[in-house]
Amino acid sequence: MAEVSLTTEVLQYVTNGVAKGSTYALMAVGYTLVYGVLQLINFAHAEVYMLGSYFAWYQAKWAGYLPDSKGARAETVPLYMVALFVAGAMAACALAGMLIERLAYRPLRNAGRLAPLITAIGVSLLLQYGGQVVFGTEPKLFPTFAETVVYDAGGVKIPNTNIYIVVTSLVLMLGLTFFVNKTRPGAAMRACSHDMRTARLMGVNVNATISLTFAIGSALAAVAGVLVAMDQPAITPLMGVRIGLKAFVAAVVGGIGSIPGAALGGLLLGVSESVVSGLWKPVYSEAVAFVFLIVVLLVKPSGILGKSVREKV
Amino acid sequence: MRKALSVIAFFAMALAALIGGCKDKGGDNNSAAEAGEIKIGVFLSLSGKNADFGKTTKNGIMLAVDEINAAGGIGGKKLVIVDKDTRSQPDQAQTVAKALATSDKVAVAIGSVESGQSIKAAPVFQEAGIPMVSPSSTNPDVTKQGDRIFRVCYLDDFQGQACATFAYKDLGLKKAAIIFAQDDDYSKGLADFFRASFKALGGTIVEDVAFQGEVSEFKDQVSKIAAANPEVIFAPVYYGSIGLIARDFRKQGVKAPLLGGDGWESPQLIQLAGETLEGCYFGYHYDPEDKDEKVQSYLKNYKAKFNTEPNSLSALGYDAVYTVKAAIELGGGASPDQITQGLRKVKDFHGVTGTYSIDENRNAKKPITMLKIGGTSLSKVKVIQPGDLK
Repeated sequence: MAEVSLTTEVLQYVTNGVAKGSTYALMAVGYTLVYGVLQLINFAHAEVYMLGSYFAWYQAKWAGYLPDSKGARAETVPLYMVALFVAGAMAACALAGMLIERLAYRPLRNAGRLAPLITAIGVSLLLQYGGQVVFGTEPKLFPTFAETVVYDAGGVKIPNTNIYIVVTSLVLMLGLTFFVNKTRPGAAMRACSHDMRTARLMGVNVNATISLTFAIGSALAAVAGVLVAMDQPAITPLMGVRIGLKAFVAAVVGGIGSIPGAALGGLLLGVSESVVSGLWKPVYSEAVAFVFLIVVLLVKPSGILGKSVREKV
Repeated sequence: MRKALSVIAFFAMALAALIGGCKDKGGDNNSAAEAGEIKIGVFLSLSGKNADFGKTTKNGIMLAVDEINAAGGIGGKKLVIVDKDTRSQPDQAQTVAKALATSDKVAVAIGSVESGQSIKAAPVFQEAGIPMVSPSSTNPDVTKQGDRIFRVCYLDDFQGQACATFAYKDLGLKKAAIIFAQDDDYSKGLADFFRASFKALGGTIVEDVAFQGEVSEFKDQVSKIAAANPEVIFAPVYYGSIGLIARDFRKQGVKAPLLGGDGWESPQLIQLAGETLEGCYFGYHYDPEDKDEKVQSYLKNYKAKFNTEPNSLSALGYDAVYTVKAAIELGGGASPDQITQGLRKVKDFHGVTGTYSIDENRNAKKPITMLKIGGTSLSKVKVIQPGDLK
């Protein structure tokens, strides 16, 4: 095998980063949607992501795709079954997201901003530790949803799982943009985010719109959960913590409240992490990512695509 | 209403999980060694990402304890196990060590598998004057924590050297890459020893990559190593990570064999890695095909009792208990001091994992068995004796 040129190497890191960043972006959208409507950082979002991969895991188990004995390998799941599992996980997570909003956030909607924020952290911890009780702390093997095929694009290695991740994320994000900008429920969401009281006066069902916002964000987190579990097939109740933090950072960098901003922030974070890992040291990647966050916020406090809105008085 | 109830139940369960750790600290106070009992504290990863380590080790310990008790105990005294879960976390190991030393007042402690945990727990026992025997922590620093800290397994300097020699001389591979966990004592130590030995033999380390924390994704580390085009990749990590690392290597088309230490060992290894570890090698603590009567009876009894295949961690747990028994007999009693004295005198002990003596640094000198991973099984490739390497 020939020596790999620097350009190829950098391209390799960029493709790695795009795959990683797509999952950050999918998650970041969830933070951004909720923040846009409620000005609430929904820290439990990372745990909804974790629930998404567990929901898919249980479906695969009930459908008989997981090996009984510890020595045997997991079977490969056909594509139509994957679609079914993803749909199931999306539905279950949408429900979980709405339930979290209904039980934990709605009673506090008029209680200022700090109380719901602390509650969000509480829900997040509850799900992390409750998950350890219910699911167990051992990593669970996720079934391989597709044979791994590695494509070679001029020395840059692209496994098919990365392609699935990027394409799925892209399609969902475009769909979401269309939904928010071109449909009536989308218009209701935008109206709520502009001014909730006026929206209510105009006949928008605010509670239903907020529930819908949580449902959409959570369903996207479920997709992210399944995509990542396909790629890294060992799931644990704490798997959401790291990606949740990064997606939150991505949402802030991109401009929280902005959907294209979340996508951009996710991709930027993923690519910068990978390039720093590759060209410098992997252990510095996160430090650099967070320095990047600080710099962006110093230069543009509202994030790259964020609108600088005057504080509502 | 039922929904509300189930939510409350969920809250309660989560709360129980949160305060579960605190419960350990309370402890019972009637713990002063009752006449006729020898309390052995056991701290292991019984849950968490390395749960297999703790569970298999504990099986070995229980097998030995039950055998000894069935034969009338030691000098008429029965062995009693007090076990604590470290949840695969070094800090938790220290917490449970305090509980074992102060409220349970054990006579001797056995644990842990992971060096990081043993290093954290050792000072607690040292200070309390209680001897600690690690069944399988291989990092050299473990027994340097104090003169009451012992182990019954080989050390990472030997393991790293053995892996390097095996790769360079037996496999004939001269270009190696290393991937290791920077914040883990075991992984980092083993990587250091391999690096030094491999270079000393004349090989080159073409890439040396670390990761940190609870990582489950290794794309960039793998790309970096792939670009350097190594012939062999040394990955001294635990079984929870190696499957994911191996998958990422194969996803980028890297076909070089991976090589690792005893941390790979787990009944879950092949399941977590799928076919991605086929043709790879790792070091192991004993040879299950040994015709030795002790080994064969151990294998038979273990399978009869637990209905699964034993592994080397269970064998080391088993040997740790019998080493403590030998120490109690040599030291002339079961007080912490007598056991410590006895452990220092253990000589030519014949166990399942070989015949060994405890040296002046409280370590055991033992051979390492290199295994090759096949489709669904492991096969012995070579046994390396401490004397084989300079």
